Amino acid sequence: MQNQGTPGTCNAVIGSVTQAMRAQRLLVGGKVMARVIKASPKETGRGCAYAVTYPCQQADEARELLRRGGIRIRGGDG
Amino acid sequence: MIYLDNAATSFPKPAAVTEAVLHCLRREGGNPGRGGHRLSMLAAERLYECREEIAALFGSRHPENVIFTPNATAAINLALKGLLRQGDHVLISDLEHNAVWRPICRLAREGRITYDLFPSLALRPDRTAEAICQGIEAMLRPNTRMVVCTHASNICSALMPIREIGALCRRRGLLFVVDAAQSAGREVIRLEDMGIHALCAPGHKGLFGLQGSGFLLLGDGIRADTLMEGGSGVHSLDEAMPEDPPERYEAGTPATPAIAGLCAGIRTVRSIGQDNIAKTEAHFNRLLEERLADLRNIRVICPHLKGSILLLHAPRIPSEILGQELDRRGICVRAGFHCAALAHRTLGTVADGAVRISPGYRSERSDADAVWKALKEITMK
Repeated sequence: MQNQGTPGTCNAVIGSVTQAMRAQRLLVGGKVMARVIKASPKETGRGCAYAVTYPCQQADEARELLRRGGIRIRGGDG
Repeated sequence: MIYLDNAATSFPKPAAVTEAVLHCLRREGGNPGRGGHRLSMLAAERLYECREEIAALFGSRHPENVIFTPNATAAINLALKGLLRQGDHVLISDLEHNAVWRPICRLAREGRITYDLFPSLALRPDRTAEAICQGIEAMLRPNTRMVVCTHASNICSALMPIREIGALCRRRGLLFVVDAAQSAGREVIRLEDMGIHALCAPGHKGLFGLQGSGFLLLGDGIRADTLMEGGSGVHSLDEAMPEDPPERYEAGTPATPAIAGLCAGIRTVRSIGQDNIAKTEAHFNRLLEERLADLRNIRVICPHLKGSILLLHAPRIPSEILGQELDRRGICVRAGFHCAALAHRTLGTVADGAVRISPGYRSERSDADAVWKALKEITMK
């Protein structure tokens, strides 16, 4: 899902801010520019959650890095 | 003023710690993991950095398994009460602090667990890891589920062989909980290599952080019941706490400024080197012990144990009085029972307690001379 706020930016809803930080470190370590944001309530369904954003052109790479790092994606791009 | 009570809390804190706390208060004062604004995100980043520092220092690949607590006692309570089940048998060492002994006693009183003490052999100059492990093996029962052990005593310089005990626990399929209140920042601890399932430590002692900071580091895949429920900043519409650590166990707002200080403290420890800190403190105690040799009215308890703590007793002066007299001369030490009933029973000092000298890495030879002079004056009166 393309992040509505920033053109060309995708996001993956992760859950807690700690897991989102962990996801961000994995992505940055894999040369994917990423940052943590608070997810929109519509994307989570269970209340507050955090997401990581990254360039849509690296979405496949990002998804694979998160999968290999054992990060559960709960919505958004994932 | 000479401060020799670093086993209670380290003082003074490194300048980097003070600066980190002030920076957090001035520039990063949001509530971490709650909001999406920049101050909240900066605070969350600071917490995560500290989790990374702790995981790296203690040999874990999982920063998310670092659970912040107000102190080591809260971490120990979470590990014990969150991991033990009805009917479990637990072994704890005879050197444990009340932070371990009291929750264990309560669980036993309520009929939830049974427990036994295994010998630390602290009084024996010939103590070995093998003999301590044999003692544990001899006390195992079919329902033994956990071994709890302090790494370093808080009243003497006895170190427990946690690597060997961890290996024993791994062979026997037991949970291994380590109280690192006195060793964190001084001794090398590698959670994964040593087979530790729960490592409990304060932030404000050997790690140079602030009072109000502490942590429980869980082994990979270890899940405990929660002791406290409340806001976690995630899955707010669920009635239950989140499943994943650390938020599962961190109900309520964390002590972000204290944790920022802890992060700076750990970096200071890494820059000085744990080994250098331990050696400096042990060297101070060796110097003092040598000087005290000519004071007949001062007895060193367990002189065969060399390390960061020197325990003294003056047969003709109550320990609390000795502590007060030292304080009058500008020397801060801890007298009494040090919240360690089991350990004082083990060392035979339960009648009157003792005076504990615990230097820091900045304690100097002249401080040892001053203590010697003061003790000479007090005991000659």
